[in-house]
Amino acid sequence: MSKEPVAVTGVGQTRHVAARRDVSLAGLVREAARQALDDAELTWADIDAVVIGKAPDFFEGVMMPELYLADALGAVGKPLLRVHTAGSVGGSTALVAANLVAARVHSTVLTVAFEKQSESNAMWGLSLPIPFQQPLLAGAGGFFAPHVRAYMRRSGAPDTVGSLVAYKDRRNALKNPYAHLHEHDITLAKVQASPMLWDPIRYSETCPSSDGACAMVLTDRAGAARSPRPPAWLHGGAMRSEPTLFAGKDFVSPRAGKDCAADVYRQAGVTDPRRDIDAVEMYVPFSWYEPMWLENLGFAEEGEGWKLTEAGVTELDGDLPVNMSGGVLSTNPIGASGMIRFAEAALQVRGQAGEHQVEGARRVLGHAYGGGSQFFAMWLVGADAPDS
Amino acid sequence: MPHVLKAPLTVEFPFTRSLGPVQSAFLTGLRERVVLGVRGSDGRVLVPPAEYDPVTAEEIRDLVEVAPTGTVTTWAWNHEPRRGQPLGTPFAWVLVRLDGADTALLHALDAPGPDAVRTGMRVRVRWAGERTGAVTDIACFEPYDGEPEPPGGHPGVFEDPVRGIVAPARLDYTYSPGRAQTAYLDALGSRRIVGERCPSCRKVYVPPRGACPTCGVATAEQVEVGPRGTVTTFCIVNIKAKNLDIEVPYVYAHIALDGADLALHARIGSLPYDQVRMGLRVEPVWSEGSRYPDHYRPTGEPDAPYDTYKELL
Repeated sequence: MSKEPVAVTGVGQTRHVAARRDVSLAGLVREAARQALDDAELTWADIDAVVIGKAPDFFEGVMMPELYLADALGAVGKPLLRVHTAGSVGGSTALVAANLVAARVHSTVLTVAFEKQSESNAMWGLSLPIPFQQPLLAGAGGFFAPHVRAYMRRSGAPDTVGSLVAYKDRRNALKNPYAHLHEHDITLAKVQASPMLWDPIRYSETCPSSDGACAMVLTDRAGAARSPRPPAWLHGGAMRSEPTLFAGKDFVSPRAGKDCAADVYRQAGVTDPRRDIDAVEMYVPFSWYEPMWLENLGFAEEGEGWKLTEAGVTELDGDLPVNMSGGVLSTNPIGASGMIRFAEAALQVRGQAGEHQVEGARRVLGHAYGGGSQFFAMWLVGADAPDS
Repeated sequence: MPHVLKAPLTVEFPFTRSLGPVQSAFLTGLRERVVLGVRGSDGRVLVPPAEYDPVTAEEIRDLVEVAPTGTVTTWAWNHEPRRGQPLGTPFAWVLVRLDGADTALLHALDAPGPDAVRTGMRVRVRWAGERTGAVTDIACFEPYDGEPEPPGGHPGVFEDPVRGIVAPARLDYTYSPGRAQTAYLDALGSRRIVGERCPSCRKVYVPPRGACPTCGVATAEQVEVGPRGTVTTFCIVNIKAKNLDIEVPYVYAHIALDGADLALHARIGSLPYDQVRMGLRVEPVWSEGSRYPDHYRPTGEPDAPYDTYKELL
């Protein structure tokens, strides 16, 4: 029996900021969920199940927050599932929700992801002082910076590529009212003059810490037919994982990422991603991950990704726009970040992306990763139903 | 049983919480000795209050004062109170439906023993002497055989409301690094670096985990590696990490020890930070009283060619 086609008919997100002291966790997720329902013109009663995701419970210290959030998400008397796959969780949460529709378990599913980083301490939550172990010698950037250097060595990319990505993403964010950072006076010179934190990563090439939530309504063919606005159709979705550390692990281009993309492309009938996909919203917490993921996802040959960035191909008006929303570099409520990527892909093919809309975007890839380049989740959405 | 290390691990953090409008009113009320509930769409009064209606999912904001007296709906005796619990002597955990409320609140009941507690017994709030806007402003409940105290009809609006609280969390574990890591740590004591080889793929893991993450099989064969190795990649740390007494800038490197099949992470010293490079040959520098090498320093050998370590970044 073939799968049920899955459509995104509602998208919602909060205006992401450094601290939302005016709302509880419940109030935060509620805002995004309410917007997604309004976009789909549905009520709480129209939802059959809720799938929620966030990063580790330890971030905010609320253990199993999904239990307490059931009221806020209208989930009383319905199935409520929690997903957790580190930083990729927003993506994998949406995919679990999509699979419930594809498998005809439920007709209409609300999916929500969030993080309230102002009330958490991510660094502490991720690096507890374990007995007998050597203390970590560097922060989060210190974990990623050596991999960036490895990429630079392998590809021969010039030092400036990272700053080009950051300059582009921060300018894209100016067109997105939901983005956290709105640096109106941003210049390339300012990015390049920002302090080197973990050489080769500069301050302006790192993501902020945000409070925010994102939600989507996923539904079947019948639900899509009732949608007041054009739906985004799921053409392919996949998740892959691998250990954080193992002999032979390629941190620059992890096998799990390549395999995940290949699975999505196979489902969607994509043979040449560079030609068949119009735009990409990918998880880039440090600027250099743009060229790295361009290669990992098959948009460029190994060692060539930086050339797309340098040539302006990934600019909003380029041939393959990347991170139209401003990306993780402009907004990072960790647990929601993956879903914001997926939601942006949906907004683009629905023609609902506002000022950062890519003209004529018909097929857009949403990408998330997390852990030590350990979990990958991706979906490809299109303006046309998958069988048409 | 082989020798396995163990140590206490305490995880402790003061989490902050933004309360939102309903919890803000509830906790501010407790500070002012007022217990507030919220009226749901079906007319029931929920105490403690919820922000969203459990029946209709709609936002609910109709605050209602209830009495500080109520009825125990169920209970369990706590023989041995632990750190941070409401009372230091044995007490009953109780669900109390306050007069005027339709749901029950979890709290402690101060009673001389389990024989003095029963479902249906009447209780009242014992207020804490110092109140800050927290559920602990109710010190506990106590048995009460007087008339129900009428609620005061408070509208739930206060001067200087509490908008956020600090919720300290603490978890106590006994941590054990396991058999393989214990052997690794014991060897470090005699300044040897010992990994384990996978019987299937033959890769040498340092530090060993006791199993190969690729093949999923247990490892047992011990292999001494290093002490020399190659810097495969690195970054220069320019910001001071918390609780770390190292002057910045310093170099944080991935080092593939000779004979190991993946890199470990360590600091490079004994040369200026801007002279560290991929391929640099290094060796550990041990210091008294420390289990791990303090840092790694150049051996003076020629740099390793890229092809010899490019799979070990």
